[in-house]
Amino acid sequence: MRESDVVVVGGSAAGITAAITARRHYPDRQVLLIRKEEQVLIPCGIPYVFGTVGSPDKDLIPDAVLSKNGVELLIDEVTSLDRDKSTLTTAGGETVAYDRLVLATGSLPAMPPIPGFELENVFPVFKDVSHLRLMQESLEGVSDLVIIGGGFIGVEFADECRKALQANVSIVEMLAHCLMLAYDAEFCSKAEELLRQRGIAPVTGAKVERVMGQKSVEGVRLDNGETIPAQAVIVGIGATANVKLAESTGLPIGTTGGIVVDRTMRTTDRRVFACGDCAEKLSFFGGRPSALKLASIATAEARIAGANLYGTRRENIGTVGVWSTVIGDTAFATAGLTESVAERHGYNYVVGAAESINRHPGGMPGSHPMKVKLVFEKRTGVILGGQVMGDKAAGEVINAISACIQRRMTAEDIAMFQTGTHPALTASPIAYQFVNAAEAAIAAAQ
Amino acid sequence: MAKVLIIDDDIDFRKACRIPLEAAGLEVSEAADPDTGFDKVSEEKPDLVILDVLMPSGYEGFNLARRIREELDLEDMPILMLSAVHELKKPPYRFAPDAGYLPVDAFIDKPLPPEALVRKVQEMLGLYREEPGEQL
Repeated sequence: MRESDVVVVGGSAAGITAAITARRHYPDRQVLLIRKEEQVLIPCGIPYVFGTVGSPDKDLIPDAVLSKNGVELLIDEVTSLDRDKSTLTTAGGETVAYDRLVLATGSLPAMPPIPGFELENVFPVFKDVSHLRLMQESLEGVSDLVIIGGGFIGVEFADECRKALQANVSIVEMLAHCLMLAYDAEFCSKAEELLRQRGIAPVTGAKVERVMGQKSVEGVRLDNGETIPAQAVIVGIGATANVKLAESTGLPIGTTGGIVVDRTMRTTDRRVFACGDCAEKLSFFGGRPSALKLASIATAEARIAGANLYGTRRENIGTVGVWSTVIGDTAFATAGLTESVAERHGYNYVVGAAESINRHPGGMPGSHPMKVKLVFEKRTGVILGGQVMGDKAAGEVINAISACIQRRMTAEDIAMFQTGTHPALTASPIAYQFVNAAEAAIAAAQ
Repeated sequence: MAKVLIIDDDIDFRKACRIPLEAAGLEVSEAADPDTGFDKVSEEKPDLVILDVLMPSGYEGFNLARRIREELDLEDMPILMLSAVHELKKPPYRFAPDAGYLPVDAFIDKPLPPEALVRKVQEMLGLYREEPGEQL
């Protein structure tokens, strides 16, 4: 029987980060990572495999990241877990004993069970190299592509496939806008305008009722009676926690389908932790269950789990929800609550927005408009969320906004921010969008 | 007393659910096929439905979930989808609750231990209370 102090099951973002964190915090402990995949994809890079990056082989996490940190690797599939004996068994016939176990088993793509979902060329997005290769081959020569789901995965796939295939690409989204769970309507409308300019058709407020075809996809029929021709369908409606191993051993599963953990990422078994897509999450706002699944959430949770294996050192504050996407050269970034979500959840809120050019003077190279919108709780002025639309710097501006949210800073704090600005890098100190959005909210609240 | 309707073509499974649910003080009724299930939901207005996926002619549970929500306009009645479809068909993806495409509140794989079933049903009915935790 093989033994290791710490065993991590799962080799993607959460598993790797939990293993590295365990080694950093407990350098005297052996850490073994078991994963079933020969090669591990960079999950967020998957849409870019189909365009910019060009191949799944160029979207891999190198194993050196494990060896460099003293993490042992076993490529095998864990088939059962015996918590009484503290052992795992694998498909390859190994029995592995652990002292602490981290479950980072990830998620599986969700399939909408509409008639026709089993036809050829209906593709859920698996985080698996051979599946992506097959999908890439099957998409070659396709002239009409339909994407079900207008979240960031759908939008990114649409943009990349349009670039690579020159196909007619439609996105079918049930909500009134694409990206609507992450952005307010004015940001979504701009995103849809950019998609249209790039030859992509967002079909919103519509649901696919049936995937049509005999053996392979020939089109989709929508609930409004319209049909769209398609030789391939990509499904991007989300992912669901892969909890088979946990469930089989009686670990409780939460309302969104993830393994129940406390704020230290410990399951109900004190020697078993879970993190990443397979773990149940609570929102930073109000503590409701959160179904958000992002690699950045997974790694934050893994840094908590890995540090707590032999004593509680860190606690999870809950999921803030920070992410960004890009359409052409315009980036969209979001953190925390949008105005519409704040309203739905009963917050008494005030918003402020500011837009200006990201250089000063505006004639400097790389100039691009950038808009920042912030949402604050009205009575206390505490920041609840922010959205940024602009050049690629939006991806980092949102991280500054996220830091403010996590520290529950107020509009006054942000209005008095001491910012660094530079003609070639940022907006002018007078027009700096983040600070001016806070000032706009303060004025609106008065 | 809360009423639970089990729609499943497997008589043994219905019985295996009925016993622990009744023991937990719930009223249980059954339907062996999707059409009877639809009628019973409409007539009996249960507080929660346990719904299978694979019934005699295919993935009938999926369609029934949509019909219950759309035709009977029962937006808020919890539906617990309990099925062996993932085990039997072994798809590399999962079917999961989705507001538009699969309007159920939870999707759990069979088999489910009786105590876990009771807990899940009570949780979905708002009857489950955590045991008080130890004082830190």
